[in-house]
Amino acid sequence: MKNILEYSYYPGCSLHASAKEYDESTQGLFKALRIGLKEVPDWLCCGATPAHNVDELLSLSLCAKNLELAKPVEGDLAVACAACFSRLKTAQHKLAGNEEKRRQVEYALDAPLALDKPVKHLLEILAKDFGLERLAEAMKKPLDGLKVACYYGCLLTRPADVPELDCAEAPTIMERVIGATGAEAVSWSHRLECCGANFTLSRPGVVIQLSNEILASARRAGADCIMVACPLCHGNLDIRQKEIEEASGEKYNMPVFYMTQLLALSAGVSPTRLGFDSMMVSPMPLLREKQLI
Amino acid sequence: MSRIGVFICHCGENISRTVDVERVAKAAEKISGVAYACEYKYMCSDPGQNLLKKAVIDQNLDGIVVAACSPRMHEKTFRKAAQSAGLNPYLVEMANIREHCSWVHEDREEATTKATEIVTMLVERVKMNKKLQPITVPVTKRALVIGGGIAGIQAALDIADCGHHVVLVEREPSIGGHMAQLSETFPTLDCSQCIMTPKMVDVANHPNITLHTYSEIENVDGYIGNFQVTIKKKARSVDMDKCTGCGVCMAKCPQKKIPNSFDKDLGMRPAIYVPFPQAVPNTPVIDRENCTYFKSGKCGVCQKVCGPGAVDYTQEDQLVVEDIGAIVVATGFELYSIGEKPKGSAIKGYGEFGHGKIPDVIDGMTFERLASASGPTGGKILRPSDGKEPQQVVFLQCVGSRAREKGISYCSKICCMYTAKHTMLYHHKVHDGQAYVFFMDARTPGKGYDEFWRRSIEDENAVYIRGAVSRLYQKGDKIVVMGSDIALGIQVEIEADMVVLATAVQPRQGADLLAQKLGISYDMYNFYSEAHAKLRPVECATAGVYLAGACQGPKDIPDSVSQASAAAAKVMTLFAKDELEREPIVAKVNDKNCVACFYCKKVCPYGAVEEKEIRDRQGNLIKVVAWVNPGVCGGCGTCQASCPSKSVELDGYTDEQIMAQIEAL
Repeated sequence: MKNILEYSYYPGCSLHASAKEYDESTQGLFKALRIGLKEVPDWLCCGATPAHNVDELLSLSLCAKNLELAKPVEGDLAVACAACFSRLKTAQHKLAGNEEKRRQVEYALDAPLALDKPVKHLLEILAKDFGLERLAEAMKKPLDGLKVACYYGCLLTRPADVPELDCAEAPTIMERVIGATGAEAVSWSHRLECCGANFTLSRPGVVIQLSNEILASARRAGADCIMVACPLCHGNLDIRQKEIEEASGEKYNMPVFYMTQLLALSAGVSPTRLGFDSMMVSPMPLLREKQLI
Repeated sequence: MSRIGVFICHCGENISRTVDVERVAKAAEKISGVAYACEYKYMCSDPGQNLLKKAVIDQNLDGIVVAACSPRMHEKTFRKAAQSAGLNPYLVEMANIREHCSWVHEDREEATTKATEIVTMLVERVKMNKKLQPITVPVTKRALVIGGGIAGIQAALDIADCGHHVVLVEREPSIGGHMAQLSETFPTLDCSQCIMTPKMVDVANHPNITLHTYSEIENVDGYIGNFQVTIKKKARSVDMDKCTGCGVCMAKCPQKKIPNSFDKDLGMRPAIYVPFPQAVPNTPVIDRENCTYFKSGKCGVCQKVCGPGAVDYTQEDQLVVEDIGAIVVATGFELYSIGEKPKGSAIKGYGEFGHGKIPDVIDGMTFERLASASGPTGGKILRPSDGKEPQQVVFLQCVGSRAREKGISYCSKICCMYTAKHTMLYHHKVHDGQAYVFFMDARTPGKGYDEFWRRSIEDENAVYIRGAVSRLYQKGDKIVVMGSDIALGIQVEIEADMVVLATAVQPRQGADLLAQKLGISYDMYNFYSEAHAKLRPVECATAGVYLAGACQGPKDIPDSVSQASAAAAKVMTLFAKDELEREPIVAKVNDKNCVACFYCKKVCPYGAVEEKEIRDRQGNLIKVVAWVNPGVCGGCGTCQASCPSKSVELDGYTDEQIMAQIEAL
């Protein structure tokens, strides 16, 4: 069958490594929705947090190079990782009105800039391009009774004028998207708080404290699970959850899903192909309890 | 041959620093038609003006160019001086060599050349100036005051006490405005009701005041001294002459669950209501949107129980036309709401504070109602969600104000003081409670103001934290306030029971629409603009319209009252004469050439152009031409620029004069 929409696809480093299940579930979901994804050949790291902290020119150039590589591939550029999305959008934003920086990056790349391809997060593709109504129709297995805490983290919507995904301080796009599956998005306080991000390597204590508050807030709101769109947030909330439980004396046992895992499950993709086994906090008891597998 | 005098001012050093004024004077002497030229340090001072007067007589001058500042500054000054020496004032022109030359240039050589050229141009213009006589128009000695808050009430009382008739129009069912909602007032903590309600009664009883409540301005025609104002009196559904204000209708109305906006929706009111017990007039209105009778045709209880038979469901909106000589605009303000704003609005709202969805996050006016003895809690500080007494209250200042990223860059001026007052009122009522205030700067310029603020900290135990708040969220029955203390350089988290936001002062919604009806200008935020920020602070650029209170910019009560009295004084100055002199710089139409296309009528911003019929002696219509009403014409020249047949000319700015100026370059 012919695809309904076509995109070029920038997975980013995490989705080929620690967040493989994000990549798998994204491919599975998009196939089920008949949305084509063509991976950009030979893509580079976006520079993530280290590059722009050390050298702005390097960070802008890496993103500009990726956009240049994506240019010949058909369709707008689909991005799954919140950090890659943020870096690519930031590069477009910063280079748009700054002649001096454009010249520097052009010099670094030794090629004319090709920044025009729209960069879109998966959420935007699902909510706006594909459309929520069509999404709801495509959901074969409703996730009724599942209470989901949608976690945005820092980068999906901020700073206000860069990602243009939704309202920076009170977004609803994740809630709207997961609502298509019939799951209940709970109202909770820590949707946009920082999880500690890559302090996970240098000062894990900070991450344990901040992520603990996020887990506690999700539990207070009565959530069964957390849904994320960022591999680093996932790492902190899922991989570190045991440590957090030890440090705080709380017992959360709170599965942390990538949004595409839940959507793909609802779209009828086989649960064996969604990487549930690579989650540290196993979702299987929850999914069985809710009769979703 | 003309005998023109040129007077060049140093303006202290403002002009002479960049312009060689002596050289300009020497050059001016050589211009054909110039009989006399001189320079002086302060031409606008008494000796400077005397220099001009003496030269008019000694040199027998028939025209004057004063090369100094902008005509907006001192044209009147020099015209008056010339007039006292016997010269027609409209033969005096200003050559602006300050704003247009010395202030904007650095190169002395070039600036001097330019100043000389400006002077030359003005000399050519003055040669063709005509002796004009001021236009006189009659003055209707009745004032209109729009808005019945403290500013409008003060202005109305002052004008009425002076013996002139005042028409006071208020949109709400009662006068009183925001001040009637307040509990106590800074910096003396006297009860707002106690100083406000007697003034409201004075308005109601004043023989010189006609009060139109529940009314709005529909249309404004005419010009200074001669406005015709159409007022829409909304249907009250209660006959004001019959109603005795007994209140039985309100007590018996079965529909009692309508949030009362006067109490910031904390209390409930019936569908037939007065906003508060001390309302003036004490005549109820029926809120037709919520009344069962108007919604379904059933009920009718109020009509049945009304002894004097005052309830009248058939009443309709009424239009009243009033002849008015001067208008005082006192429409006041409203508070910024942190809720979601429509897309594309310059104002953003506060998503980080939950867009106003946390019930115990309230604004300053809501706190006033909680603290007020006549408020919905009888003066007890109880939080809206569960009626408990809050033990920790956090006050946030500058919410919306001084926040360019939220769409407003100005300071709202009153919040520092009322927040200090709130911490005191809270401490007086909840003795063991703790108030915290997050603030950027404490701005307390005013008599007794800083002392008042210090008192809130030193005697009333308020903790002030310098820094901003990034987020508010509900946690159980607490509200977590996440902020920063920039003095200590640390992050602060407070679990509060209630949060009070000092939200920005904004003009009333629809302020721009009223301004368009009145033909007055407003700024990017819709605050009304005064004619001159320093020297004409209560007048609009539109003649005959004056400003009072917060519609012009954020103001506290003392400032609003002062400005209202000042506006009243301006109205009384206008009413002191039977006839009004107006600048004769108005457009005139040449009937012979006018082709009656009426482009001028379309472009005139003052609505001064009318259609005039020309008839022969037998009364047969020969043609229709444009006619400019000199009482209305503002002298802007737009008609002159747009006239395709060159039939309109502005006195003092004729095409001939402008061409002569250009040719002189």
